Amino acid sequence: MKETRLGEFEEVILLLVGILGEEAYAFKIAEEFESQTNRSVSIGAVHSTLNRLEDKGFLTSEMGKSSAERGGRRKRIYTITASGERALEASRDFKLSLWRQYPAFATGKLDFGLK
Amino acid sequence: MAQKEKQFNGPHPPGLAAWFLLQFLRDDLVEEVLGDLDEKFYQMLKRKPSFKAKLNYWYQVINYLRPFAFRKSRSINSNHYAMFQNYSKIAWRNLFKYKMYSFIKIGGFAIGIAACLLISLYVQHELSYDKHYDNSDRIFRVLNVYNDQGEYERWPAFPAQIAQVLEDNFPEIEKAGRLIPYDWYNAGNNQFRRGDQTQNNYEEGFAYADQELLEILEVPMVYGNQAHALTQPKSIVLSRRMSDKYFPNEDPVGRTVILNEDESDPFVVGGVMENFPSNSHLQVDFFITLKEVEFWPGEQTNWCCYNYDSYVLLRKGTDLDELEKKLLFVRDNYIVRYYREVESQDADDAQENLSLQLQLIGDIRLKSEGVGDIIPHRDIRIVWLFAAIAFFILLLACINFINLSTAKSANRAREVGLRKVVGSFRGNIIQQFLTESIFFSGISVALGTLFAWAFLPYFNILSGKALIFPWAAWYFIPLLALIAVVIGILAGIYPSLYLSAFKPIEVLKGHLSRGSKSSRLRNATVVFQFTASIVLIVGAFIVHRQMQYILNKKLGFDKDQVIMIQGTNTLGEKMEPFKNELLRLADVKNAATSHYLPVSGTKRDQNSFWKDGRSKIDKGIGAQIWRVDQDYINTLGMKLLDGRGFSKDMASDSSSIIINQTMARELGLENPVGQRIMNWRTWTVIGVVEDFHFESLKGDIGSLAFALGDFGSIMTVKVQTENMPDILRSITTVWETFMPNQPIRYTFLDETYAHMYKDVRQTSQIFTGFAILAIIVACLGLFALSAFITEQRHREIGIRKVLGASLGSLFQLLTLNFVKLVLISLIIAIPIAWKIMQKWLEDFVYRTEISWDVFLVAGLMALMIAIFTISYQSIKAALSNPVNSLRSE
Repeated sequence: MKETRLGEFEEVILLLVGILGEEAYAFKIAEEFESQTNRSVSIGAVHSTLNRLEDKGFLTSEMGKSSAERGGRRKRIYTITASGERALEASRDFKLSLWRQYPAFATGKLDFGLK
Repeated sequence: MAQKEKQFNGPHPPGLAAWFLLQFLRDDLVEEVLGDLDEKFYQMLKRKPSFKAKLNYWYQVINYLRPFAFRKSRSINSNHYAMFQNYSKIAWRNLFKYKMYSFIKIGGFAIGIAACLLISLYVQHELSYDKHYDNSDRIFRVLNVYNDQGEYERWPAFPAQIAQVLEDNFPEIEKAGRLIPYDWYNAGNNQFRRGDQTQNNYEEGFAYADQELLEILEVPMVYGNQAHALTQPKSIVLSRRMSDKYFPNEDPVGRTVILNEDESDPFVVGGVMENFPSNSHLQVDFFITLKEVEFWPGEQTNWCCYNYDSYVLLRKGTDLDELEKKLLFVRDNYIVRYYREVESQDADDAQENLSLQLQLIGDIRLKSEGVGDIIPHRDIRIVWLFAAIAFFILLLACINFINLSTAKSANRAREVGLRKVVGSFRGNIIQQFLTESIFFSGISVALGTLFAWAFLPYFNILSGKALIFPWAAWYFIPLLALIAVVIGILAGIYPSLYLSAFKPIEVLKGHLSRGSKSSRLRNATVVFQFTASIVLIVGAFIVHRQMQYILNKKLGFDKDQVIMIQGTNTLGEKMEPFKNELLRLADVKNAATSHYLPVSGTKRDQNSFWKDGRSKIDKGIGAQIWRVDQDYINTLGMKLLDGRGFSKDMASDSSSIIINQTMARELGLENPVGQRIMNWRTWTVIGVVEDFHFESLKGDIGSLAFALGDFGSIMTVKVQTENMPDILRSITTVWETFMPNQPIRYTFLDETYAHMYKDVRQTSQIFTGFAILAIIVACLGLFALSAFITEQRHREIGIRKVLGASLGSLFQLLTLNFVKLVLISLIIAIPIAWKIMQKWLEDFVYRTEISWDVFLVAGLMALMIAIFTISYQSIKAALSNPVNSLRSE
């Protein structure tokens, strides 16, 4: 399952692509990342990750519409692929299974908001 | 400037960053990435200042330096790089292979660049005068212009009401403020002390000013408020350095200060201003307010007397020509009207020939030709002349470079041939030699910068400036790099075209004749270099001669062994006792007091004189009237041609006057003694003094009169001694018993006189410096050329020696050609130097003549230096054993 292994940053980016839908392009994703995590990130870093995820087959992309504030330049819209969704699910399931084995959580002493 | 900003439609992303991005970014990513970055930029701009958005743009660009985004590099780049490596390696090897030639190329260049750098600093400072005001395009000084039959005299002084009249009558003038910057009442220099201390100090740099002037000149304040620093009567503004000197670490606003020990008339500090920057035409340390000042009853409303300079701030968009036309209103309604009221004959003359002009503040320093004021000016022509000379020296160095590169081409011909055979295009060869010359000029610029830096303190003394190297300025290092590249290309372009034109077959077969074909060009450059050098030598000689002429000219007064004790006005009643005490000293021959002396820095005035009773009939003559005491004429060694001097015993001498020859002539007095003349009162002429030079030798001797007056600020003491230090000590002792609270301050009349011609001395020194540099550079070139020529002819010399040529004939053979060239240079240089120096001397009414011996000496000097330079190589060649040069055949 080497193919589907996701780094933490990759996973967040992949999720954001899914959340943003039609608006998923590098600048917007970087913005969303910053506002959701309060961590700053450069567009280049996001772009590089998107590029890698596309190489892994989790994302596809095509050139989208242009707008005035981009100086009339088009943007590259990323969409999550079926294999990308599977990778996300696998990652979530793997973590959930780990949580279930966590004793404090399993006995209900700790509540992390996950049911 | 303001208009430019309006066209500018909000900030843009930094172009340089985008350009940088495009240098490495994969082509297929360009569109989306630029779009994203733009979007980010404009989004940031909504919340953040534009510089932050720009900074962020750079940050984003830097963050695209990631492997995935890089364009795949092209192989051609690495080849270029490899070739450049090769070129620099060859350049480096050549540098060491021909050490002497490299030394001359680089040394000459470095000298030229050092001269250029220093002069650029100088020129930049001169050009930066008074450009630092926010409103520098709207601040003007008002000038009178008098058309004296086609020659325009200009001067800045106006009667007291000028500022009020300008402000009230011309809506274009936003503010007008008056200034008295020269020696007048308390303006100029004073004894100065704090109100709560007793020790007096002599200070210079006092000026009277209106409150408005502080605002017009945008004077920045350290303490106090600029808006009312001078609004109260009797207020005074100090400069930061004076405040630090007298009130260290405190805010002196509101404190009292005393001028000239006059406790009845104290001044109150109204504020402390920043020191004037070194590139301001005004250098004032104390502004005394003009508020409620009246120098004599009725002075403030009278249009008789011209004592106030006036500065104005114009409203935006004022049409200057239009306003200058309107300003004639001042002439018609005030100046001329005054003349008509007093029935002066000057009225029609003023109506016809007088006009008013507005001089931009930035033009005061360099474009004040013919303006009579006391502000130090520089003639812009001299500034450009220096720049041109520095440029010429650089040109001479470039010529050395070109000469040596082409002369030594034979050594490089095989290299060029071989490069072409293995596939170099001509362009590659050109590139190679350009790289080499840029390499050389790079080293030279570095070396030249070091020279200039090391020499800067001395240059500062020469030029009287405090220039510093702008190491920290962002543009400095890139500028030097740019200079290295540009000069490298300029000097390298001809040699590289020349060398790259070699045909490979010919050079590889051994036809190397091209080195000598260009000897005509080389001869021309030698002539050019020596012409320039000789012109500079002649220039240096003539300026030096003029200085000697000035110092040794018979002036009509005796300036040697005369001590000027300054600041004696504070003696008051003790003046006479002090003078008598001095006269009791053994070596003191005479002493006199006056404000007025025939050197600059002492008082001047201007009066109109008529023959008695003719003030309403004749046009007056302009003359100075100097207040002196009875001993003045004797002390200064002036000569009475007719009549007698002032006498203590004659009570009537209070209305006696002594005039100089010029004044007698201008008034048309045949036998002046006993005649009566008038200005605002009548005088009886009792004597005529021989004309003496009381102003610069640049001008004619004007009309001058002496009348009795007291309380002069300078006591002139004539001594006759072998031992100056002793007599100075005695005088100081006497002074200290009289004035314990005021340190004695004295100068020597001859030194003060020489100081008047500081600019001539500076020009002389700078010319000498340039001439030396030019001759060094030219000699370096000549030395290398002669080395090259003897090297080329070493076989010929060997054969001649074998056949019995003498040392003398060989020496002649090798030097004659160069001697001819120097003689040709001399012939070309004579008319050029004569023309230029004649022009320079025309500024002086009293001047030395340009005589032929100057050219003779300069020519001989150039010739001797040239022969001396060549002789080393020639004698070496002539002495060498012919076997060494012939055995390989």
